[in-house]
Amino acid sequence: MNNQTTIPSELTGIVLNIQRYCSHDGPGTRTNVFLKGCSLRCKWCGNPESIRVKPEMAYDPKKCKGRECGLCLKDPFPKGAFYFAEGDDSSVRINWDLTSGCDEGMCSLCPTGALEMYGKKMTVDEVLDEVEKDASFYRNTGGGITLSGGECLLQPDFSAALLKGAHERGINTAIETACNVPWSYLEKVLPHVDTMLHDHKLTIPERHKKWTGAGNERILANFKRAYETYPDIDFIARTPLIPGVNADEEHIRAVLAFIRPHKNVIDYELLPYHRFGLGKYESLGVVYQLDDYQTPSDEVVKHLQSIIDEAFGRTETAEK
Amino acid sequence: MNTKNRRIAIMVGAGFVPGMNAVIKGAALAAGKSGWEVIGIRDGFEGLLHPEHYPEGGLLVLTPQLVENLDPSAGCILGQSARVDPFNVRHLNELEMIEELDMSDVLLEKLKAENIDAVIAVVGGQGLSILYKLHLKGLNTICIPRSIDNDIASTMVSFGFNSALSFTIEMVDRARLAAQAARKIAVVEVQGAQVGWIALQAGIAAGADAILIPEIPCDLKIVAAKLREKITPARPYGLVVVAEGAKCVTPQSTGKKESSLKASLSPLAFGDNSTHVIHRSGRAAQTVAEDLQLLIAEETYPLVVGPWVRGGSPTAVDRQLGMAYGAGAIQALQAGQDGVMVAFNPPETQFIPLADAINKVRTVPPNSMFMDIAASLGINFGK
Repeated sequence: MNNQTTIPSELTGIVLNIQRYCSHDGPGTRTNVFLKGCSLRCKWCGNPESIRVKPEMAYDPKKCKGRECGLCLKDPFPKGAFYFAEGDDSSVRINWDLTSGCDEGMCSLCPTGALEMYGKKMTVDEVLDEVEKDASFYRNTGGGITLSGGECLLQPDFSAALLKGAHERGINTAIETACNVPWSYLEKVLPHVDTMLHDHKLTIPERHKKWTGAGNERILANFKRAYETYPDIDFIARTPLIPGVNADEEHIRAVLAFIRPHKNVIDYELLPYHRFGLGKYESLGVVYQLDDYQTPSDEVVKHLQSIIDEAFGRTETAEK
Repeated sequence: MNTKNRRIAIMVGAGFVPGMNAVIKGAALAAGKSGWEVIGIRDGFEGLLHPEHYPEGGLLVLTPQLVENLDPSAGCILGQSARVDPFNVRHLNELEMIEELDMSDVLLEKLKAENIDAVIAVVGGQGLSILYKLHLKGLNTICIPRSIDNDIASTMVSFGFNSALSFTIEMVDRARLAAQAARKIAVVEVQGAQVGWIALQAGIAAGADAILIPEIPCDLKIVAAKLREKITPARPYGLVVVAEGAKCVTPQSTGKKESSLKASLSPLAFGDNSTHVIHRSGRAAQTVAEDLQLLIAEETYPLVVGPWVRGGSPTAVDRQLGMAYGAGAIQALQAGQDGVMVAFNPPETQFIPLADAINKVRTVPPNSMFMDIAASLGINFGK
């Protein structure tokens, strides 16, 4: 974890990606900063490269020149980590169990860029300088910076410094979090947050543990405490909607019962399950466990959305 | 090393394969003959790393009396674990956050504390690499290859393959008869993410019209043309056997618009469009069936044999192989071997260094005898 005595702007964190022109993670046009590391292991995760805190190697076979190159079979790459199959197949294969010694320096030796590192150490100023490039968009649309992940609260000092620095530069702030962290982490970050998007993945603790690896008792307690402690933050609840897991009325109504008493929870969004991340599992050498899961039907999404709209008094708008 | 009074452990890696109990029996009986004690570790390495999860104990003494009737039975007396990798053990830390820990040193210490001086590991391709890493850290180990797909290159045949193949043939036979009755084309997906041995041999045995395997990128237009030729009023049905890792080169015409959510939710993603993705749950059959139906004037329907083949009792061949591999591991230890895989390459049982056994996939070569047989039977490969 970052040293508290470091000058805030020189604090470093592990950043996975900075994505500009996003429109789904808070108000206006935003720049999403994805931080690395997560404290849950959701089986449907669309960003498997964000799960581990440390930078890790990824392989894109489409960029690989295979036998034409073969550089990764030589020093300094770990012996046995890369190999060719027998026969005509010319692509490099990877023994993921032997790649733990591969670092950024080694990946940079790959002439085609087929090997790359997910995760880069950056300072607060480096991130904010990049974010500030779109300041005019933020002013025109009410947008700003959104910290996402992984779980951005796993790097609480870095996140707090980023958001504080953003405010100092006049940039609106948001975070996207599952809140499976100690309250002390939230206390560092939330004073610098304008909008908090937070995931209600499953309602029943045992089911939450089955699908994400951890129970949700602390998560729900954190949500409630945050609603009550920070009345000026706009909270937006979200559910990644997965058929057969939580795409049902019972879950939606349970979430509504939890959030509606709190007037600073201004919306509840549904994120229909997607399969964008499927290829990334293979590029990391990880088996995707929900391969046979499908995106929920439009009818299901529309029906569940109508329940939310009704709860938020938007029935007429939804029917238009 | 003291070759008398040795205490040997046996563990089973992730993924069930018929014949596990035969391996355990072979090792326990052969060890007992030398006066050695064999200890079974429950659920991969779990019984050793987390004995508190096992009220009856995480270790099991495998006496000859306990194992003597074990080999025909389905399942595995030592249980199974979904993940067996002591270098990446998932756990909930003191802050109730999930993380992966390297517990390899803990494992080695626990083996030492139990006076276990060698581990026989029954593992697949990935397990070989993990045991190789443990061997580099000082573990005395003998590996036994297990593979449904028969894709471990250094041995001619892994135990479990014959049981899987036998069951697959029975299922494909049934699919063919069902297709005949329904006057449709059955597209049957079978095991084989990287190699097509099961698809090839089952397809030959059941009289498939086409066999699609990972080693040969297939053009479904060619398969469709072949099916048009073979399907006649006198034979109004077809049978296509597809390995789960089969690669089709026919362009997919999905043309789906990319959602703007992608940038927000998964910015580095390339979704299903990666050439690198192997679908493991019946998608190969579904995709091939749908695409073929667009190319010909026949109805197709997908069927998935898939993981059904992993259950059930071992065949006679796998019982013999399992016993031989188990006894072979004890022979390796008696010969002072360490860090090797037992390989069945008739007429010899060989001990292959793990460094040479990993990273070799036993693919179907173009000049395989089975390819020649299939060609002479008029079976098409989509090329």
